Amino acid sequence: MSDPFDPGRRDVSDPYAPEVAPFQHTEGTDASGQAANDSDVVTKTGTTTVGITTEDGVVIATDRRASLGGRFVSNKNVVKVEQVHPTAALTLVGSVGGAQSFIRSLRAEVDLNDAREGEPMSIHALATLAGNFARGGPFFAIHPILGGVDEDGSHVYTIDPAGGVISDDYAVTGSGMQLAYGAIEGSYDESMSIEEAQDLAARAINSATERDTGSGNGLVFATVTDEGVDVEEFDDVNEVLN
Amino acid sequence: MQGQNQQQAYDRGITIFSPDGRLYQVEYAREAVKRGTASVGVRTADGVVLVADRSARSPLMEEDSIEKLHTVDDHVGVASAGHVADARKLVDIARRYAQRNQLRYDEPVGVESLTKEVTDAIQEYTQTGGARPFGVALLFAGIEDGEPRLFETDPSGTPSEWQATAIGNGREQIMTHLEDEYSEDLTLGDGIALALSALAAASEDALDAVNVDVATADAESGVFRKLDREEIQDYVEDLDVDAEETDE
Repeated sequence: MSDPFDPGRRDVSDPYAPEVAPFQHTEGTDASGQAANDSDVVTKTGTTTVGITTEDGVVIATDRRASLGGRFVSNKNVVKVEQVHPTAALTLVGSVGGAQSFIRSLRAEVDLNDAREGEPMSIHALATLAGNFARGGPFFAIHPILGGVDEDGSHVYTIDPAGGVISDDYAVTGSGMQLAYGAIEGSYDESMSIEEAQDLAARAINSATERDTGSGNGLVFATVTDEGVDVEEFDDVNEVLN
Repeated sequence: MQGQNQQQAYDRGITIFSPDGRLYQVEYAREAVKRGTASVGVRTADGVVLVADRSARSPLMEEDSIEKLHTVDDHVGVASAGHVADARKLVDIARRYAQRNQLRYDEPVGVESLTKEVTDAIQEYTQTGGARPFGVALLFAGIEDGEPRLFETDPSGTPSEWQATAIGNGREQIMTHLEDEYSEDLTLGDGIALALSALAAASEDALDAVNVDVATADAESGVFRKLDREEIQDYVEDLDVDAEETDE
């Protein structure tokens, strides 16, 4: 027993670190954990991801394109939104490797916490944890949206690469964000139904798909309600637009 | 003689079971709790009450230097019975865990997970060579998601949840009183009166307000607060009046 007041089961020195396992460190990361030299070569999502809250749940929409620096389409059917909690999902924005590693870490922590507490953590706690990980971890620049539902209702958060956590009624991140925000601005209404929010999110993704070289190749919806997370893929945005 | 030596061998190391499956050092630690002055916890719909007997060894001792009630975080606190120094170490583990939880999740720590963090630490001291168990029991009182919660820890590291309970000297008499008098529809004020009368039931002398500490975790405000001397005095006086009426 080296430190008698460290129960030894967890790292008590760092409340921001994951409990289950240390973050995966990658070659080419500097002391701050940011990718120092290979940020141009890694697969990036380019991406436009949208999260919109409604009274009945959260609608998340993303495009499906992966590219190398926005110049070459390296994959045409990426699902850039993943469930990380019984009633929450996170989008992949930025480096694919960084975002996937980030999601694996979050999922493990959520499951561990769920097993200990007997109920899933709140979305605010999940967003705080995600912000801590983004700030302290070795992830490449990532800029995800977290959408979830808990006892307090529907929530959308943006998690920025420095660990900033901001709650909003709706949010967009990714290379097509200005186009998508333009499509949503003025049309959002907090009393919208899930179907209306899906239509608005699809229009936002469509704007980015049409004009942003980093975004395209269809659409993915993740609909989060108190029942869970439902992910649907579409080859063409027009399949869902009325 | 042979048998006696065998017995001694089993109680010298806490990591050694006796042939009938007992850990003597853990049982001796429970005896240390019984020798400590009592603490009482009562959970009501409005909040949780902790009352601690803090009788001073000498009138020369500064009253406020006797620590039986400890604030862990805004919404949760601890009462102890047994070795005060051991209690302080456990309270510090609890305080640090509460703040780690706040940093990690930006939420107040749950009373149940806080208690279990501490009992996990206690358990390590029943299984680690060279260490001795904590000679203290704790009562955790706090508010979790607006609900009052009351937990007990013992030297084996077992957590348990209660409507009302007591630790320390005179536990049997106090428990009998609580079991007779407890009801689920007590107000927080009723809970304080019940905890004080339960403590008095275990003592031959009348309760002296100077010798008790009282704290409440209020469900509405979500705050754990130690009552000041005047407030405690008022409750103890009300108790005396009630007792006289009952006697007549």
